[in-house]
Amino acid sequence: MFSGETPVFQQLAAQIADDIVAGVYPEETAVPSATDFAAFHRMNPATASKGVNLLVELGALYKQRGVGMFVATGARELLKKVRRDEFRAHFLRPLLDEARVLGITRDDLHQLIDEEERDKP
Amino acid sequence: MTNAIEIQSVSRAYGGSKALDGVSLSVPEGSILGLLGRNGAGKTTFMSLVAGQDRPSSGYVEVFGERPYEHESVLSQVIFVRDNQRYPDRYDLKDVLRIAPVYAPNWSTEVAAELIDGLRIPDRTPIKKFSRGQLSAVAIVLGLASRAPVTLLDEPYLGLDVTARRFFHDVLLRDYTAHPRTIVLSTHLVEESEALFDRVVILDHGRVRLDVASEEIPEQAFVLSGPSEAVDRLASNRVVLASHTVPGLTSATILGAPDTGLRSEAGRRGAQVSSVSLQELVAAFGADVVEPALLEGARA
Amino acid sequence: MSAIVSAVKLHLNRRRQVFLVPLWIAGVVGVISVVIALIFWRGGSQPGTAEWIQSSRSNPGIIYALGGFLVYLGVSSVGTAYPFALMLGSTRRAFAIGTLAWQALIAAYVAVVFLVLELIEVATHHWFVGFYAFDIYVLGAGDPWRLLVIVFLGVFTFLAIGAVFAGSWVRFGVRGPQLLALGLVVVIGLGIAIVVPGLGAIVAAFQLWWLAVAAGVVIVLASLGTWLFLRSAVIR
Repeated sequence: MFSGETPVFQQLAAQIADDIVAGVYPEETAVPSATDFAAFHRMNPATASKGVNLLVELGALYKQRGVGMFVATGARELLKKVRRDEFRAHFLRPLLDEARVLGITRDDLHQLIDEEERDKP
Repeated sequence: MTNAIEIQSVSRAYGGSKALDGVSLSVPEGSILGLLGRNGAGKTTFMSLVAGQDRPSSGYVEVFGERPYEHESVLSQVIFVRDNQRYPDRYDLKDVLRIAPVYAPNWSTEVAAELIDGLRIPDRTPIKKFSRGQLSAVAIVLGLASRAPVTLLDEPYLGLDVTARRFFHDVLLRDYTAHPRTIVLSTHLVEESEALFDRVVILDHGRVRLDVASEEIPEQAFVLSGPSEAVDRLASNRVVLASHTVPGLTSATILGAPDTGLRSEAGRRGAQVSSVSLQELVAAFGADVVEPALLEGARA
Repeated sequence: MSAIVSAVKLHLNRRRQVFLVPLWIAGVVGVISVVIALIFWRGGSQPGTAEWIQSSRSNPGIIYALGGFLVYLGVSSVGTAYPFALMLGSTRRAFAIGTLAWQALIAAYVAVVFLVLELIEVATHHWFVGFYAFDIYVLGAGDPWRLLVIVFLGVFTFLAIGAVFAGSWVRFGVRGPQLLALGLVVVIGLGIAIVVPGLGAIVAAFQLWWLAVAAGVVIVLASLGTWLFLRSAVIR
């Protein structure tokens, strides 16, 4: 489930964040508790708590005492912004590096992008 | 956060050889520690000392601030089930279940029943006739149902099938969450169990090679692989934990984290930099490539 | 204190075994006594005659029946119970003391059972057929107090001997019992060698209570030995 690339709690946070952005957890609805995430992914509860707290610190989740964890209003936009900031490093850089290796020019790239969008089902 | 277990400069020698050599370690209360390393690395000796079944040759061991050896009140809070536990003559499971609560004040009959059912332990068969997996199952029942504040599990997975291992994990996590306790678990099934650990300690030749929180594991080492010449040059002034070579190709597990300088140089020389899993890390520390003394110097 | 009680409970854990033990022993005694009675009868003796009573009462078969079994019980009480007790969280001290207490308990229990059986034997005129199993010289020839003391000390002694041999095995492995046996042979042999010249005088002056004292000494020394062995044993 979680590989050894980055700390597990970060991976969990990333997965929850992706689910929020994808709409699996709408804003102002509850997400599973850290304990439930731990049981579900079969991981240490403290690690799961760390992952959830990352998102709380970010402002994407908030805790309602006695009730549980909820997705904050504006969380989707917030998390999308975070992903936008990471977009260059995660997607663009590798794409450009690969393009260079294969000898694909900037103009070729623009053309490929247009073609891809056009042919998309 | 108090430490449930404190170990200071502990050595334990048997005759001429040292099972543990200058080990210092703290285990925070309520955490789950993964104790990893090769057979004979000292894991069982470590647990035996914590459980008060043995005394260190030098240094001291403290559980809840007291030395556990012959200490009645501390021992009532610790359970240590070995992988080779002997049971009295002609005992069966019922005998074990009858006497365990006498020694374990927190004993839970519900957890015991659940584990017996899920692990399919025979009721009336003499334990002497149990298979390796069934013996492990009994050990797990004792280890988990006792809800001891300090729970030491030595290779609990031996002989257990995949379903049983999953089940054990689930019950462990659930009961640990509901009734927190300090757990030390030693195992060779690193990949399967690493998600459980708060902290990981790797032992080799009786010494601590690694003592880190789980989240720090990815930055402990990395793998450099590619053309042997390139890898050898890149690894030249670094500590190599283990290496794997065929003519022309080398894969080296290197202590520390790769900086950007190394990454770009590797890229230029056609070598790959990749992360190392905990399992690979444990294997690397057990590989005897570098003399322990050199490792000490490098870390200092 | 509670750890000692726990250790006693551990020894009593297999309840069926504990309660059956005296009955089993009595049964074995009975069977052996029947066999010996048959031998006497075949040898020409008749039940009811003075000669019959005399030889039946002299039959010490019970010692052979009991001795080995009790030593085994003593051995198993320590041999495999000890590592198990340590795992559960017992201290070595509590286990040693608890074992001692258990031995006394069992000895007392067996003594009472034998007394009851002996009283029944006498009341039924030796089981209606002139059959002597418990009303024998070795067990005090009818005197209930003697029977109690003899059985109590006897059972206790055998259990203690079994325990100390198990202790030597736990401490030294296979060598342990061998060395212990060797040591005992040497000590006892030397003792006899020292005593031999005055043996005649000793036998003449012999009092039964000397045996009681001897039993007491054996029990104390064996228990001490068990404790010393267990204390320094390493469970690997």
